[in-house]
Amino acid sequence: MTTTARPLGSTDAPVLRLSALRRSFGPERAVDGVDLTVRAGEIHALVGLNGAGKTTLMRLALGMLRPDAGQAWVHLPGRPEVPAWRAPASLWAGVGHLVETPFGYPELTVLETVTAAARLRGLTPAEARRGAEHMVTELDLTHWARRRTSTLSQGNRQRLGLACASVHRPTLLVLDEPSTALDPAGVLVVRRWLRAARERGSAVLVSSHHLDEVARLADRITVIHRGQALGMLAPGGVDLERQFFAMVYAAEGPADADADAGADRVALGEVR
Amino acid sequence: MTRAAWEVELLKLRRSPVARTSALVLVLGTAGLSAGFTAVGLGDGESQMAVKVRPMLQGEGWAAYLGMLGQILSVAMLLCVGVVVCWVVGREFTDGTIGSLLALPTPPRAVVAAKLGLVVLGGVACSVGAVVVALPFGAVIGLGPPDLEALRAAGRVLVIGLLTTALALPLAAVASVRRGYLPGVGALLGLVVVTQVVTVAGAGGWFPWAAPGLWSGMGGAEAAAAVTTVQLLLPLLVGLAGAAATVGWWAKAELR
Repeated sequence: MTTTARPLGSTDAPVLRLSALRRSFGPERAVDGVDLTVRAGEIHALVGLNGAGKTTLMRLALGMLRPDAGQAWVHLPGRPEVPAWRAPASLWAGVGHLVETPFGYPELTVLETVTAAARLRGLTPAEARRGAEHMVTELDLTHWARRRTSTLSQGNRQRLGLACASVHRPTLLVLDEPSTALDPAGVLVVRRWLRAARERGSAVLVSSHHLDEVARLADRITVIHRGQALGMLAPGGVDLERQFFAMVYAAEGPADADADAGADRVALGEVR
Repeated sequence: MTRAAWEVELLKLRRSPVARTSALVLVLGTAGLSAGFTAVGLGDGESQMAVKVRPMLQGEGWAAYLGMLGQILSVAMLLCVGVVVCWVVGREFTDGTIGSLLALPTPPRAVVAAKLGLVVLGGVACSVGAVVVALPFGAVIGLGPPDLEALRAAGRVLVIGLLTTALALPLAAVASVRRGYLPGVGALLGLVVVTQVVTVAGAGGWFPWAAPGLWSGMGGAEAAAAVTTVQLLLPLLVGLAGAAATVGWWAKAELR
């Protein structure tokens, strides 16, 4: 395991690489030594219970939080790999994110909000207008395009957040629970949209509570629990829920009293 | 990227009910109140209001009227611009949307610089607006055409508007560091109280938040004449320091 930057031009290098990443809030270790990669054209899902550390992990990946140890590295095409924390601002033109509350202001319309997001993401005024109109259509928000965002349902607000996150066609997408508030039709829209992003070559890191949804969508699934990456689930595997809880319960068991559980964790722990 | 930040923040400010309400109060409210008080004070009436207003009117005609506007604006501007600056800087922290302003090619320091720059321009625009609206109001209360004294008094109103706008800027640092607009509003209320106490204690001119009000004539003509140029420059320094501290904090702190 290396914590140094990789040179410009590495071909199969991951777009996002988390290396021994650690972050605490007071006595609470929110992220505890996570290693993880996301490659171009791949959807890597994080699954875990509430408070497992998924959101903190994503915020570290986006340079929003300073790691206590380890590093999140971002490697976009044509650029050297750089640490996310204190990365040059221009790097983020290739990254889109929706973490926790979506970008949105109640006094602006849907179209204005996406256009504003596009401008802040480096698009010219003309590109921003075109991009916003395209994203509003792509995420099925046309009916609400000229309405204030304060009138939107929670699900539509979430789709608006996704439109803002990706209006600039980013190479790396980091999305925290993108389907949580969506109705079944919205889930289908977002699933189609995420698959399209993957087909365009985007690297996608996505978190979710919904095992069925990530099983349909993800290329790799990492289980996060108490800030640690416990292991991986096979997206095509059967009974993901049982596998998930087996992993979580094994991690919860007393380490010194259940050596087998510890051994299982290592066996399952491709990402550790 | 700086231009994008200004565009987006301008759109948000233009649409913001907080900013719109404050602008209305500053432009129409202050001019209207000044005209009303002046009409009552310069009249022959002996009502309780007339008796209380007369000491606030220094000079005659347009000078007295615009002097009253300066006094009212020195209080209203600090309160209104203070609330607006706390709102624009602290709203994303309070709403939990600050993350959406991070990890962008437009860096946070550019965003907050645009927020502060627009608040300053808005404060100056409202000062100009108050003077412009005050002109027809002055004609309505029978002051006749504005004279040279009116021009000088109008200039003083604009300086008071600029100084009190600058004095609101340190509140942006409070709203940032305390991560929300309400702590900033709390600090604003504290400032108003401290300014009253310091002024009563006699140290007003050297307390930056009191100097523009004293210069406007709130403490009487004698206290206004005693305010020095250096004392009037202090609010600008305070504003610059507040803005620099806020931008520096947004550039370096972990925003969450």
